[in-house]
Amino acid sequence: MELQDIFYNKQEYVETASGNKVSRQTVLCGSQNIVLNGKVIVQSDAIIRGDLANVRTGRNCIISRNAVIRPPFKKFSKGVAYFPLHMGDNVYVGENSVVNAAAVGSYVFIGNNVVIGRRCILKDCSMIEDNTILPPETVVPPFTKYSGSPGLCVGELPECTQDIMIEFTRSYYQHFVPLPQPDKHGAK
Amino acid sequence: MAYLTQPNYVKYACSCGLLKPITKMYFCRHCLKLRCGYCVCHEVDSHYCSNCLENLPSAEARLKKYRCANCYDCPHCFHTLSIRATSVTRNSEDGSKTASKLYYLACFFCRWTSRDVGIPDQASATGRWPERENENSETIASLIEYFKVLALKERIDKEKIFHTPRRNFSHFSKLGMTAALVRKRSGLPSLPLGRDADLTSLPTIVPSVASETVEPLPAEMFTTAPDLTKVTTLSQRFSQPDIQPELTSEMWPIHKHLFIKRSQRCRECEHNVYKPEYNPISIRFKIQLAAFYHIPEITLLSIGELKAGVPSEIVVRLCNPTQHLTSVDFRPLPSAMEEDLLWERQVQLCEERERKDSQRTSLTPGSLNTSLGSSLTLPASLTRQLTLYEPPRRVRLDVSSSVQLPSCGIVLPPRDDAAEYDDSAEKHNFQDDPEVVVWRKSNKAAVKFSITPDKTLASNEEVKCGFVLGYGYVNTMAALEGHKEPQRVELQVKVLLSLGTVVSDE
Amino acid sequence: MNKLKIASSAVVCVESKLKGTVSVGSMTVIHPKASVIAEAGPIIIGENNIIEEQVVIMHRLKDGEEWDESRVLKIGSNNVFEVGCVVNASAIGDHNVIEAKSYVGEGIEITNGCIIGAGCQLTVPEKLQDNSVFSGSSCSLSIAPDRPPAQTLQLEFLSKVLPNYHHLKKVKKPEQVN
Repeated sequence: MELQDIFYNKQEYVETASGNKVSRQTVLCGSQNIVLNGKVIVQSDAIIRGDLANVRTGRNCIISRNAVIRPPFKKFSKGVAYFPLHMGDNVYVGENSVVNAAAVGSYVFIGNNVVIGRRCILKDCSMIEDNTILPPETVVPPFTKYSGSPGLCVGELPECTQDIMIEFTRSYYQHFVPLPQPDKHGAK
Repeated sequence: MAYLTQPNYVKYACSCGLLKPITKMYFCRHCLKLRCGYCVCHEVDSHYCSNCLENLPSAEARLKKYRCANCYDCPHCFHTLSIRATSVTRNSEDGSKTASKLYYLACFFCRWTSRDVGIPDQASATGRWPERENENSETIASLIEYFKVLALKERIDKEKIFHTPRRNFSHFSKLGMTAALVRKRSGLPSLPLGRDADLTSLPTIVPSVASETVEPLPAEMFTTAPDLTKVTTLSQRFSQPDIQPELTSEMWPIHKHLFIKRSQRCRECEHNVYKPEYNPISIRFKIQLAAFYHIPEITLLSIGELKAGVPSEIVVRLCNPTQHLTSVDFRPLPSAMEEDLLWERQVQLCEERERKDSQRTSLTPGSLNTSLGSSLTLPASLTRQLTLYEPPRRVRLDVSSSVQLPSCGIVLPPRDDAAEYDDSAEKHNFQDDPEVVVWRKSNKAAVKFSITPDKTLASNEEVKCGFVLGYGYVNTMAALEGHKEPQRVELQVKVLLSLGTVVSDE
Repeated sequence: MNKLKIASSAVVCVESKLKGTVSVGSMTVIHPKASVIAEAGPIIIGENNIIEEQVVIMHRLKDGEEWDESRVLKIGSNNVFEVGCVVNASAIGDHNVIEAKSYVGEGIEITNGCIIGAGCQLTVPEKLQDNSVFSGSSCSLSIAPDRPPAQTLQLEFLSKVLPNYHHLKKVKKPEQVN
């Protein structure tokens, strides 16, 4: 089925020049370290921890409500450091998910209520189903579908996944429109 | 995403008769037909480990029993094991303390470690972890050896019987010699299979002895309660079928299974329909002929309320994925009589094909195995594997509603990737009936038509409607082969839409 | 009444929610969007704990009960509460790790060295054994040989980095010095 229009309150969202739509109710720590590459939607109550390390997302990403994007930390012999987290293009992160991964490729679909453990690597065109718990340091190869707790490979994705994700994220962005403002309410 | 997470509302009928969504189908450009996963030959391209993403050539993979040498799975929860280090200070011979690192395997999910089973920590991180020897491996190896020699002996005996009636073949000399004798005469070394070996002596094996006495169950089984944290579950036991440990203290780490990269080939014309790149990380491909890119995609936009006997409107979106202009039209499904005729024709074609194939392969006797082909020069077609043909199936379109299809055709412009960035939409002046074409944008159009669920449907029964989509396909492949310009072919495909359940009218 | 006692070396981000009488020990880090709600009685958080975002530590009021000063939820030291976990336990010891999105129900007493895996839901009231490990969708229990390592390195890093990006909650010394 095709997506219906998703309305948002115009005052609630900030639209930047490159087309990013970021809700004001998010917690963007260390916003100078967060790079959103254009046409990214960050919905309300999402948390992006740019204070721990750099966070960079590609174009057309969608970060749903209550999601937490958090760079992972790694213990070295000389101490602990937080690693930068890179997300590719056209990534969908579902509601309430916790992404602690070291790298997320492009065209990845992450479902709702997912926990992606520390230092995981999600390659391009993979899918993590709803309610999965991916233990730390899992590598998810391309065109695979992971599910369950611990996340194990349960299936394969069709070869046209890349175009499916591009169409999905693009149409989500196009349907993410501000509520039509009636004339009665004053601008506040 | 709809194809990934939602049930399949729109299904196309493949040329073998199965109904599949468009993402699971391929389009063979040579046969100009739709193929699904069943009418396509799956071939293994390469093996790779899902953890280290290391490519293994097929021969090496077979030697290692299709498992990765470096990566292990936790026997408790089947997650991948990681290597952790501890530093240990030891007193070396000259009395000074040296700090050395010792490594052990640990699972980050269930916190199982290799120390739980008693595997000593290794001094090197990439070193080999001790493997457990199976007590039956020697017996099995000697049995396999014995049966190999026995099979060879039987095969040669059979060939000797076959060779005598055949004197007309040019492959053998007129004196009725086998290749082995020819080689012996000309002084060439014998074939590696050891044909000339002394076959009268088979290796000796000790047959297993059956014994009447069975060990009785230990008495503690009935008196002490089992400690469930020490007993393995069935799935843990079956993941190691050669050992099948009963206690958790016997669960050793399991080598990780390799994943494969597949390529698909049309069964009729033997051309590749999908061929990925060799590198496991890459998502690109050498050949990609998915149906998604060649035939118009139909998606449901909206469905009106469904009531038995009451017409309602549905809006469907058509998308033209090709680089050429297509015109699409809707036709009703063929009636029962036409279906029967089509079915008979299909069955006839299939039988003809099978007959042709069996003629080609009837030249070789069935018992001559293909390994002989390497020593004699048989033509390549005789050593080819027989392809399996799927017998045609009737398309099961259980349609439970009638459709009022639009009578006019709809023109869909070609796909334009640059149109995304170009906000000034060029106006195509299509003479669209506004009742039919509700919306247009670059290569997409939304079409409205009405359906009437059958009166006989009870509430909560599925409503399905079907039609035949005719579209023009421009075959660019012919142009590449140096023929004239690409030709336009009219193709059609049966489509089934599942629209949900009938609302009970109260 | 909101009586907050925050030790001087503790790092409590201002976006976190501390409701009721909460006392935070030294070197403890509370990330933004964490909530510590003391409904039924005061909560005393020990030292060297890490409480990450979207964590809810709640001292729940049962029906018909009221705030009772003496009923204290004591959280020990060196615990890690990962993102999104919900803890309604009656007591928490030391060196525990409560992983992401897990749920600990009422009446459960967490002792020392326990690891409650990601996504696990513990609802039956009981006192957990020391060093127990819960993992998987069925919350299967196993006893680990030793307790999880302490996160001192991470604590040091966080106490250096977080003040650069966040305003911290600080309790001014009250005038009850005399």
